[in-house]
Amino acid sequence: MTKVVRTRVEFEGSVSEELALVQGEDAEPWAQGEELVIVGHPQRRVEGIAKVTGRARYTHDLRLPGMLHARMLRSPYPRARVRRVDPSKALALPGVRSVLHRFNAPKAAFRGEETIFREEVRFVGDEVAAVCADSEAIAEEALALISVDYEVLPHVVDLEEAIDEASPRIDEHGNVHDADRHERGDVRKAFKEADAVVEATYRTATQMHNSFETHGAVAVWDGDMLTVHESTQHIFGVRRGLQAALRIPYGRIRVVCDHMGGGFGSKGGVGKYSIVAALFARELGTPVRCVLDRHEENLAAGNRSATLQKVRIAAKGGRINAIAHDSWSNAGQGRWIADPTGPTKSLYDVPNVLTRSYRVLANTGSLAAFRAPGYVEGTFALECAIDELADRIGIDPLALRRLHAASDRDPISGLRYSLKRLVDCYDIGAQEIGWSRRRPKGLRASAPGLRRGLGMASQIWSGGGTPPAYATVHLNPDGTAVVRIGTQDIGTGTRTIVAQICAEALGIAMADVRVEIGDTDSPYAPISAGSLTVASIGPAIRLAAMDARDQLLDVAAGILEVSKAELRVEGGAVVSRGARTPIAKVFEELQNYTVIGKGARLPNSEELVLKTFGAHFAEVEVDPRTGEVVVDRVVAVHDVGRIVNPLTARSQVEGGVIQALGFALSEERVVDRPTGRVMTPGFESYKVPTVKDVPKIVVRFVDAPDTCANNTGTKGLGEPPIIPTAAAVANAVANALGIRVRTLPLTPQRVLDAVEAAPAAKGGEADRRGDRRS
Amino acid sequence: MPRATPVLGPAAVDVTLDVNGHARAIHIRPQRTLLDALREDLGLMGAKKVCDEGTCGACTVLVDGRPVYACMTLAVATAGRAVETVEGLAHDGGLHPVQEAFIAHDAFQCGFCTPGQIMSVVALLRARPDVTADDVKRAVTGNLCRCGAYPNIVAAALAAAKRKK
Amino acid sequence: MKPFAYVRAGSVAEAARLLGKGSAALAGGTDLIGLMKGGLAAPARLVDLTGIDGLRGWTRERGAGLRIGALTPLVELEESEGLARHLPIVREALADAATLQLRVMGTLGGNLLQRNRCWYFRDQAVPCWLKGGTRCFAVDGENAHHAIVGTDGGCNRVSPSDLAPALIAHDARVSLASARAARTIPLAELFTDPALHRREEHTIRPGEIVTQVVIPDSALQRRGTYVKAMDRKAWSFALVSVAAAARVRDGKLRDTRIVLGGVAPVPWRVEAAEREVDGQPYSDAVAARAADVLLADAHPLKDNGYKIPLAKELVRRALARLAAA
Ligand SMILES: Cc1cc2nc3c(=O)[nH]c(=O)nc-3n(C[C@H](O)[C@H](O)[C@H](O)COP(=O)(O)OP(=O)(O)OC[C@H]3O[C@@H](n4cnc5c(N)ncnc54)[C@H](O)[C@@H]3O)c2cc1C
Ligand code: FES
Ligand code: FES
Repeated sequence: MTKVVRTRVEFEGSVSEELALVQGEDAEPWAQGEELVIVGHPQRRVEGIAKVTGRARYTHDLRLPGMLHARMLRSPYPRARVRRVDPSKALALPGVRSVLHRFNAPKAAFRGEETIFREEVRFVGDEVAAVCADSEAIAEEALALISVDYEVLPHVVDLEEAIDEASPRIDEHGNVHDADRHERGDVRKAFKEADAVVEATYRTATQMHNSFETHGAVAVWDGDMLTVHESTQHIFGVRRGLQAALRIPYGRIRVVCDHMGGGFGSKGGVGKYSIVAALFARELGTPVRCVLDRHEENLAAGNRSATLQKVRIAAKGGRINAIAHDSWSNAGQGRWIADPTGPTKSLYDVPNVLTRSYRVLANTGSLAAFRAPGYVEGTFALECAIDELADRIGIDPLALRRLHAASDRDPISGLRYSLKRLVDCYDIGAQEIGWSRRRPKGLRASAPGLRRGLGMASQIWSGGGTPPAYATVHLNPDGTAVVRIGTQDIGTGTRTIVAQICAEALGIAMADVRVEIGDTDSPYAPISAGSLTVASIGPAIRLAAMDARDQLLDVAAGILEVSKAELRVEGGAVVSRGARTPIAKVFEELQNYTVIGKGARLPNSEELVLKTFGAHFAEVEVDPRTGEVVVDRVVAVHDVGRIVNPLTARSQVEGGVIQALGFALSEERVVDRPTGRVMTPGFESYKVPTVKDVPKIVVRFVDAPDTCANNTGTKGLGEPPIIPTAAAVANAVANALGIRVRTLPLTPQRVLDAVEAAPAAKGGEADRRGDRRS
Repeated sequence: MPRATPVLGPAAVDVTLDVNGHARAIHIRPQRTLLDALREDLGLMGAKKVCDEGTCGACTVLVDGRPVYACMTLAVATAGRAVETVEGLAHDGGLHPVQEAFIAHDAFQCGFCTPGQIMSVVALLRARPDVTADDVKRAVTGNLCRCGAYPNIVAAALAAAKRKK
Repeated sequence: MKPFAYVRAGSVAEAARLLGKGSAALAGGTDLIGLMKGGLAAPARLVDLTGIDGLRGWTRERGAGLRIGALTPLVELEESEGLARHLPIVREALADAATLQLRVMGTLGGNLLQRNRCWYFRDQAVPCWLKGGTRCFAVDGENAHHAIVGTDGGCNRVSPSDLAPALIAHDARVSLASARAARTIPLAELFTDPALHRREEHTIRPGEIVTQVVIPDSALQRRGTYVKAMDRKAWSFALVSVAAAARVRDGKLRDTRIVLGGVAPVPWRVEAAEREVDGQPYSDAVAARAADVLLADAHPLKDNGYKIPLAKELVRRALARLAAA
């Protein structure tokens, strides 16, 4: 029986109502304390051997017979009209097969536009033409031979310049667009009646994903059937995108992603490179590969928007009484923004809140979701402002947060949370870092002249998962199983978790489960993003495995002549009153029988709000004479429901913390304003953390299953660990220095400039003042 | 009269590389990097091309036992030198201790940097079995990991070192 | 990369002969290959120097100073215990230079001859002054990493090498050989004087090969130290670096050298600061005076003023370390 119901879906901070199909009945959730033998225990990655031997095949590694190579010609100007394209010289180069550009390319809808080669190119790196050739080197050489007549137009690349009325308007509707607004309580009144108000402006830099495997695809046609191998977080999203761009039937498109070298949010759908590969492959009748190089990746494959955020926060009676948060995000050419005010709206129980969020257009590459998009930036501003207020009213910043963290209701909808253990995160983290050592003017440093401080910040994120997601489990007559689901493993360990849940629910060993993912010929699963993978697919896999087990028991009951109720499956055998019959034995006389179990993810409760919570604590040492910030230790505590694989969960948190440290301390896209060129397109100038930048990271979980969330009790863990780190570090730096640097990243330059501007910070204890207003 | 040294190229020339102990003859132009020779001419996809400009370490292979960036090395210049890649580590179906330790300690996520990381650790432990965490960090400073598997990479290297002793 | 011919030279003479017009010498390739990939160099022929006997390793002979072959890989300089005894500053300077892989590949000569890292220079599409254009884009652009002194209104690049300041602090001389002649010049003179407004970074002539670096006996009497500030904990060029060397006796520094990296288009020796400390009983106040005169003539751009306090601090640290030794 299949029913249609409405369900609330939350994806990366925005909530929407969607239709869902309900099939079958849900299982009782695995309860707290329930004895599980595989889930909840550390398990090595099932693809481990493939990855350490170099055998794992990534999209980059595919080489098909007859395969050609495509490369993009990209605009050297931040804004220009493409008046003429002359590819004749390129076409004359031996080995060049074809050139596509705006005057000859077929219409191909892409992100709301009709074509992939626009008349007006809008950032340095925007696609102007594509070449297909026998080798990448020839294609590259041919790019230089395409002559393009550009009419250069006025541009603006910087966020604050784009906001400025005096700058060129690059869009007919202006550069600044309303994106979101939330109001509750009476903010004006609250500020008027406040005991203390802090008002500050925070800035964050553009962060670039820099997934190690760049975006890319290989397209192959077999008659009118298209197969695209793509490094993606969402094979089904790519399939839809190809359908829209190429106007071919959904059923004629297959998308495959086997191993995948990271995405961090940027690989959520089809890219121009995939469309170009498919177009060339169709035209030339042979496979075509189009893979971006590192510099292209950093021009055109997305980024976390730079933000400008103004926060006003008021205290009354020792509590936070009001917050007003205005935020502008540099969306580049993006048509949406990741809203930084999300945490301000929902993290704390504060009665009077006003948030306004704006999308600002600029002549730079579009944003793409980047691990907790918006929340990383917004949490930095919110959590710094709370610390500034706490300093102002002379209360411990953690104590101030505690006053607003205990509520069990979502302040926006008024609905109850399925589970909220934020205060437990505080207790565990405070204990672990030794928060009681914190003093308003910092701690004793390890050497004279250095400054040491403690800081913390909290996180809220969705991660409850959603339908639709489906899985099948094939139980072979030898007792092994194949689980099929159209999800993808982007490095988070999804394969392993799929195997764990299947093995647990079926009652067989993990080694007897083969995981088939990353292929749209499997049942649908959602994007691997938004921390929704495990909580979306886990319940479906469990139901599919239970279905298979149930059918197995039917067979076993008949064969063993025991009533089904007395049978269970355990360790690969059917067990009844002490007798164990291996599954293979059950099927001995039914040799070619295959049990097919299926399962679907059921909707979330309408009455509950599903969130993850957490808190990070940081201890830092700052050298005010060199501007160097050394993060000594980060304690990360998260409340994300049941932990399926403690081994990979810890890795996930460490990875999130490290990426956040890059955002906090060293990562910054620099764009030259006059030319619009990205000055930091490679790893020499764009500084992602090295092994030496990593502090001691302590990972703790409030490992409590959220039994109201879904039948596995899980929630997501992809984004939570990147959210509060930068804020915790910035608060620790402020605690250490006695002055606050409100612009990320906290480079030696920024710290030194701040210290020079506030000589008190250089001097002794006596002349240090904690709270400067901006 | 000193013997004149042959000038190779710019057209393609025959070169024999010693890769994982096997002589491999290829026909390449002098501008072929070792990384492209391994991946395109020899089909060895372990070493990855992530930056192609000597700034990430994903292409790390060993030449005469020491780690180098294959993307910044000309293949012609490695003729007659011993090149080792991740594909050469496992023997008789058994993993190298460093590979095993990487799995046991979950020292990778997406795995794209992993072949390079492993080669750097292998070179370190061959030269000095007795290593500290700082030694390991120094050895893999030139291997970025965007997923941030660093703590586990260090743990895996230390565990492999302990096992070797 | 554009196609090129490759030849492995067997001797200095052969290499010099092969290095005709349009050719380039190839050592470790860590800079040259990057420039070629980036479209900033397109030699028709590469002459590989790494097979030449006798240009690798170091020797110390009394009267002849310390000689280091130009083709010695950086990693050998870093790992040599003997060299660390004679010239400890080299190990210190290499400790945070690039990465192990780059030090395995990179050579002494290549390190001294590497081109600068200005992002306008490295972007092929930007017609900056050094590449023959009319102006330095950093002046009105993004200049947090650029020079604060010695630019003379011209190019605002900074000298990137960690070894150059360290070796100059020990009066290093560099030997060059061509098909016709050989010469030995002070290492400092290998770098083009910014005041001359020449569109090149080095004074090496076409067809010349760097064969060795020589530290005279007298300079080996000095103790040297190297400090470097970076915007990440590793694998970064210096924001500012300081090489300091002196003979230290009875708490006094004599014969002091202070050479900065990362602040000027060339390694930047500051004799005024050296004079402040020379012969004085070392104290914090003396170091502070040296720091104060250090960059008196600096002209910071919009975003690089922080390099002044940073350089002062690093000089204080370097001097304190010398005095404590
Ligand atoms: C990502 C990255 C980070 C780096 N970080 C640092 C750092 O922190 N500190 C630092 O000091 N360096 C750093 N470097 C630079 C590196 O140290 C140099 O690239 C290296 O030392 C150059 O040596 P090479 O032998 O590879 O030179 P090559 O690239 O082979 O040559 C460089 C230049 O010198 C010429 N040349 C080389 N040898 C001779 C010779 N004997 N005679 C005549 N001409 C010659 C070549 O023709 C070429 O023009 C970094 C490099 C990279 C790519
Ligand atoms: S690919 Fe060679 S160092 Fe990045
Ligand atoms: S595991 Fe993904 S980059 Fe290292």
